[in-house]
Amino acid sequence: MRKFLQALSLLLFSTLFFLATYKLPDWLPADIYLRLDPLLGLNAIFASREIIYRALWSLTLIGATVLVGRFFCGYICPMGVAIDFLDLLFFPKKGRRELKQDALLRKVKYVLLIVFLSAGITGLSLAFLMDPLALLTRFYTFILYPLTVTVINLFLDLVRPLFNLLGWVTFSHLHYVQPVYYMSAITLLIFGGIIALNRLAPRFWCRYLCPLGAFLSLFSPLGLFKRKVTDDCNECMKCRKTCSMKAVKENPREISVSECIQCRTCAEVCPREAISFPSSLSLGGEYSPRDLSRRGFLYSLTGGFAVGFLAIRTPFTSLQSKYQLIRPPGAIPEEEFLRTCIRCGECMKSCLTNTLQPCLWESGLSGLWTPKLDLRLAPCEQNCNVCGKVCPTQAIRSLPLEEKSHAKVGTAVLRKEMCLVWAQDKPCLICDEICPYNAIVFRPVDGFRRPVVIASKCNGCGFCEQRCPVKGESAIVVVPNGEIRLKEGSYIKEAKKLQLDFRPDPGDDKFLLEESGFRIEEKKEPVRTIPEEKPSPVKPKGFL
Amino acid sequence: MGKNKCGISRRQFLKTTAAGVAFALVSRPLLSEAKEEHDLVVTSGEPAAATKKALEAIGGISRFVKKGNRVVLKPNMSFSNPPDQGSTTHPLVIATIAQACIEAGAREVLVLDHTLRRAELCLERTGIRDACKQIKGVHVLALQERKFFREIKVPQGKVLERVEVMKEVLESEVLINVPVAKSHSATGVSLGIKGLMGLIWDRESFHSQYNMSQALSDLATVIRPQLTILDATRALVSGGPGGPGNVIKPNLIIAGTDPVAVDSYGVTVAPWYGQKFNGRQVEHLLVAHQRGLGKIDADQLKILKERV
Repeated sequence: MRKFLQALSLLLFSTLFFLATYKLPDWLPADIYLRLDPLLGLNAIFASREIIYRALWSLTLIGATVLVGRFFCGYICPMGVAIDFLDLLFFPKKGRRELKQDALLRKVKYVLLIVFLSAGITGLSLAFLMDPLALLTRFYTFILYPLTVTVINLFLDLVRPLFNLLGWVTFSHLHYVQPVYYMSAITLLIFGGIIALNRLAPRFWCRYLCPLGAFLSLFSPLGLFKRKVTDDCNECMKCRKTCSMKAVKENPREISVSECIQCRTCAEVCPREAISFPSSLSLGGEYSPRDLSRRGFLYSLTGGFAVGFLAIRTPFTSLQSKYQLIRPPGAIPEEEFLRTCIRCGECMKSCLTNTLQPCLWESGLSGLWTPKLDLRLAPCEQNCNVCGKVCPTQAIRSLPLEEKSHAKVGTAVLRKEMCLVWAQDKPCLICDEICPYNAIVFRPVDGFRRPVVIASKCNGCGFCEQRCPVKGESAIVVVPNGEIRLKEGSYIKEAKKLQLDFRPDPGDDKFLLEESGFRIEEKKEPVRTIPEEKPSPVKPKGFL
Repeated sequence: MGKNKCGISRRQFLKTTAAGVAFALVSRPLLSEAKEEHDLVVTSGEPAAATKKALEAIGGISRFVKKGNRVVLKPNMSFSNPPDQGSTTHPLVIATIAQACIEAGAREVLVLDHTLRRAELCLERTGIRDACKQIKGVHVLALQERKFFREIKVPQGKVLERVEVMKEVLESEVLINVPVAKSHSATGVSLGIKGLMGLIWDRESFHSQYNMSQALSDLATVIRPQLTILDATRALVSGGPGGPGNVIKPNLIIAGTDPVAVDSYGVTVAPWYGQKFNGRQVEHLLVAHQRGLGKIDADQLKILKERV
């Protein structure tokens, strides 16, 4: 029963994860697992000092834990399921000795919880480092998703001849675009490490490290279902040996309530059927204090503040607005963005074009794993707004398409010294051709039609930067200058106020013709002769 | 056989048969000549109706599509814009032709393009996939992977020696090019011949490496659509190829077997960038004409005009 629910939960998590992509229906909360996570929610609320509405979903999980106990870890947590499953696969249960440092290690998760929350109070979002749902979503995004696509494509290639033979046209042309991500190796190492720790003890992560588990354990002793052992117990210790959380104490009649994840394995294995989990209203009485001493608590609190101080009082913070970082459209102002983003990677998974990539050190520790646009790799698609839809803390605002298309992320700048037209008089026009906003126009300069960016029309989508045929760095790059970052309110209004117009005026090409005095019959002497190009600076390309 | 029952004598039978055969012998070439003597068919009307009319006027799609054939339709669906922006072929034009091919006995109809913008968006937003969904045997695909292309030689190539073309195009019996009429910032206009670039793998080299007009003519020597149906129901007269730009509505469908003639006539149906042009003023069409790929002077073409 438990295994079934676990499998179901992992399936649901995976399904929602894979559904988080372009044309995600508005009603489907693909980020629901992350919304339910009170650690991520609290961390973001602390750090941003704002109420985040999506994070309020986590109240349901807190409520359920108060009511039932720490069932989340045993039944729902997809990380727990992954650990249990891989444990079964890699480490057959026998041969793991009891850890001598058990009591000490148990405190670690509380220390981490306090560190993360107190760092949050200083304004540093850090819980993402070890929150199980953020960790797993990142693992899914950076490893499992690209791997799945690779495997599916390999399979499709393998059976393609068969499809051809059967005449299944659609299948025989099926191919999925391969997503790629920076920092995938680090992500794999961290996840691999968590699994490897199971060598020492089953659910090592859940027992000793998981700060979400620590948080939920604060409420679990209030729960309705508590373990009860009848006098039939003969202290065979079978329950203690099989308890994956090692919650059963040396006297097997007793249990550490905060550690119990309600898996009820003990009741199943008890040869005398002495164990049951009846519902009992026992508020107060059994609420045992944490193992953490007051001193330990203060140390952790100080530690959290110290980390917060170290991460925030750096030049990185002062330079925040000066980095060459293009944030996703709808990202709230940088300082709030860094505080609110929980680095789950969901936006990068859902990104239609794969332009959203994780940051490493571009903006210091406080910017680790935050999403940026890598516009040389891929552009931001004007008809897609999925990154905001799936953001569980709304660090990227969920915007209707019309609003999103006004959320300018930066401005394209032409680097004339590298541009084929400006520097070498070559007839290149790829940036103009691809620009969906008509923000690039050609003006006759020095006897040659040369591209110019109209900044008030550019919304930073980066099609030009991606397609620029110059080798290496693009000759046209999007810089954050001119980006619109709003915490609330309408981007359309803001864009109007700034006199930006992303609904391009199609008359501009005509304007070019008229202004430059284009005539079919008349021949104008070129100011400068360029060998390959026909010498008329003002004629539309392709016409003689 | 059965002459007694039918009540006609042998003589009568022979006479009638002879007359019938004679009529058939005389009239068949006449009938088909009636259709083939024209260089172009131009029909005016709403997309679906005008297309249907054009197919009738040209002698029926069965002139090109035989029973059991596999047909490739090449629309322009390179951009993820809705049809009213004029940068892509109208979905009803494609659906009408695809339907006619199926009715003529085509085994299957593949609607193919190598899109410039993200494939799934192009298929969705151009409306072409939806329009063809109901027609059995029609598949709308954007082929974005090199494995779906095969390299062929270009024997008459001046700048292009080899080119990688969609396998499906090479392996199908019929290719019908269904471009949209639009302006193009590199080639002036983008009609049928420019549209052939949507069937090859490496487009970038046409822009960066070769003389585009020569390369396009080279391409037109190896990819020869049996029929070109130019969708000029809308014309994106500026801001092409991707738009947005000025869209006007000539409401025309231009069909013909000569790709240069279709394009050259297409040049004349709309003012490009606010100016009237003819085929000879479009560099890549002039080059194609000079290399013997078709007629270029629209005023000398024999045109069958029809209105819906």
